[in-house]
Amino acid sequence: MALNPTEPKWSLRLPADCSIAAIRNVYELIREAFGRQERLEIDCSSVEKADVTSIQLLLSTAKTGEAQGRPVVLTSFSQSLRNTLCRAGFASEALIDQHFPQKKDGT
Amino acid sequence: MSAMDPTEVFRQEASELFEVLEGALLDLGQRPDDRELVDSAFRALHTIKGSGAMFGFDKVASFTHEFETAFDRVRKGEIKPTQELISVALAAKDYIRALIEDPQSTDDIIGEAILDDLKRFVSADMPAAPVVEIAEASPPSPAESRRAGWHLYLEFESHILRNGSNPLDLLEDLCKLGPCFVVPVTDGVPFLDEMEPEDCYLKWDVKLHAACDKDAIDDVFMFVQDEMKLTLSPLEHVEAPAPAPLLQLLDEEPVIAEVAAPVVEVVAGQPVARAEPQSDAKPEIKREAAAARREEAKQERGIATVRVQAERLDELMDRVGELVIAQARLTQLAASGSDLSIKMIAEEIERLASSLRDTTMGARMVPIGSLFGRFRRLVHDLSRDLSKPVEFVTSGEDTELDKTMIECLADPLVHLIRNAIDHGIEDTATRAANGKTEQGRIELAAVHSGAQVLVTVKDNGGGLNTARIRAKAEEQGLIVAGAVLTDHEIHQFLFHPGFSTAQTISALSGRGVGMDVVKRTIENMRGSIDLSTRPGQGTIVTLRLPLTLAIIEGLLIRVGEGRYIIPLPAVEECVELTAEDERSRGRNFLNVRGNLVPFLRLRELMAASGAPDRHQKTIIISTGETRVGLVADQIIGNHQTVIKSLSKLHSDVTIFSGATILGDGTAALILDVAQLVSLAQSKVEKQHINEAA
Repeated sequence: MALNPTEPKWSLRLPADCSIAAIRNVYELIREAFGRQERLEIDCSSVEKADVTSIQLLLSTAKTGEAQGRPVVLTSFSQSLRNTLCRAGFASEALIDQHFPQKKDGT
Repeated sequence: MSAMDPTEVFRQEASELFEVLEGALLDLGQRPDDRELVDSAFRALHTIKGSGAMFGFDKVASFTHEFETAFDRVRKGEIKPTQELISVALAAKDYIRALIEDPQSTDDIIGEAILDDLKRFVSADMPAAPVVEIAEASPPSPAESRRAGWHLYLEFESHILRNGSNPLDLLEDLCKLGPCFVVPVTDGVPFLDEMEPEDCYLKWDVKLHAACDKDAIDDVFMFVQDEMKLTLSPLEHVEAPAPAPLLQLLDEEPVIAEVAAPVVEVVAGQPVARAEPQSDAKPEIKREAAAARREEAKQERGIATVRVQAERLDELMDRVGELVIAQARLTQLAASGSDLSIKMIAEEIERLASSLRDTTMGARMVPIGSLFGRFRRLVHDLSRDLSKPVEFVTSGEDTELDKTMIECLADPLVHLIRNAIDHGIEDTATRAANGKTEQGRIELAAVHSGAQVLVTVKDNGGGLNTARIRAKAEEQGLIVAGAVLTDHEIHQFLFHPGFSTAQTISALSGRGVGMDVVKRTIENMRGSIDLSTRPGQGTIVTLRLPLTLAIIEGLLIRVGEGRYIIPLPAVEECVELTAEDERSRGRNFLNVRGNLVPFLRLRELMAASGAPDRHQKTIIISTGETRVGLVADQIIGNHQTVIKSLSKLHSDVTIFSGATILGDGTAALILDVAQLVSLAQSKVEKQHINEAA
């Protein structure tokens, strides 16, 4: 997981483990990133372990970004993350888009 | 925000679950038909399995899964839990515990052997023809067959994820019952700053289109029913779900195969609004409402409890101790001046400090039942190993003791219970010959008695063999042959180091190591131990313990220039040393209302300098039935005593149990009452011997 300040937008790549065992670290990093820059891009391509806590954290991140007028762009949902979203009932692309309006599937 | 390591939380939770599991298994041995016990054991197993998998304890998850599977026939009521099966299940539980707490000590071969045993016992009375469960299921009632399905609203307690439960697994299980339309409800997800990332905020609105009965749904949630709110109402007619074509999000087969687009209305870009449970609930569902109320009550109880690390309580107690000392200094300072307002503030702070002390000590109190539960397994195993059927009865589990006391009490009680079974309870043949029931009985009880807690271990065995104890004491040279001693005095030799009357040394007892350690441990806790026995009827061992080890009420006295504290619960009364008593110098006995009480002159004991006060005071203290007088120069008064341990340099000083800091900043030593009593007794004995000589 790393912040890359050389890009025009700050990007944050989520680690492979975003399950409850590691979620607090992920949470702290996202909060830290929120405090530093205007625009944040979160790359979800490396996520291998996800669960309810991962989904909630992404939902909260999107919600907080919306409320603060600083959209958070979520990119490249990994298959594992998609599976978890699907299991939690976010079964359609429309539903995912609805909750993560700034999602981008491009790599 | 708590930053507690989740795996450590799992270990703690698992430890509690093991106690539940062990308790349920042991109870099953007594009440094999109790379904609630089977369910309780299964809930514990299931949670251990789920949590283990979640926190990376894969071996735990896999072994527990095998355990669960093997035990499934018990759950289904196909076989009854025999004693042999319970024993193997307990061994399996021990193995899981070792996998979590000390994985290095485990061996896969042992694990496999336990599982093989478990499977063997479980399949021992397997019916000849396999029972096809589905064939046994009763046909659906007309009402059920008309039912189009169920509408569920799932709301979990916030901590459920920390326990290892996974709502997604439950949704998956639910979908196995029939087509499910799952809609996540996200309005509870907070902003980042307000979030506890391990808490559960998501809720789910589910429409299950299956003509299953309610029990099938309850089965899905049986392991988390205490930690969730499940609102259930029947769907009377098939709603047109009109599922939008599923976007094939997954390359592989979706786990939930039949999930459709949300059926609640959503506004683009806004969180899904909470879908209220349908209002077409029939009267028959009222009992579910009652269940929901019970759940709410449970939730309220849950909120009322907070898990706090033990070290934090210790720190809090230390701070309160310092506060009490500072308050004592303030009170002393205020008393020496004439400023009324300072005096009023000092009194107010004294009242608050006293109240804070009581509250803090209350927070450290733990029901002794948490300790008693551990001994059931001990009795079960010893009873099996020694082939002595024993009934184990406990009472007073709600009696509270300081948590430090509870920890210190475990080993002494293990020893006393072992002794009771090994030495106390006779073998079945002897019991039958003596007209007793085949099954022995051990009672472990706790009860409050003033500022003390009495813990008793009572057996209905053969009682102490006084003649044999005496013979052994004579053989070891502890008494001269033919010395006149009461039975009580003879029994005290059992506490002598290296004393044992056992004729054979076993793994359990006979080495003469133990009762002296038990006594020392109890006395270190400022408690005492008494024995009473009736030949042929059994023995009662009574432990008298103070409620706490941290702060006590003490009596502050002065001897010469030094000041000392006597724990107030040990003080019976204070009397003046009369001139007549003074004249009895050399005999050191006090006449208290016709009773002769030996006394110790603390000035001599403490080698106090200077002239003694004109009117010497005697404080009568007692432990058990023994009374001793302590002669001091002055009785200063009551004192809230914050106990500080003595340094290692003073470890060989036995008559002091600790020290405290007084209001003027000086230290006072706390007298160890039990040691003083035995010191007085030995002086009396020497006097007897001298007089006899």
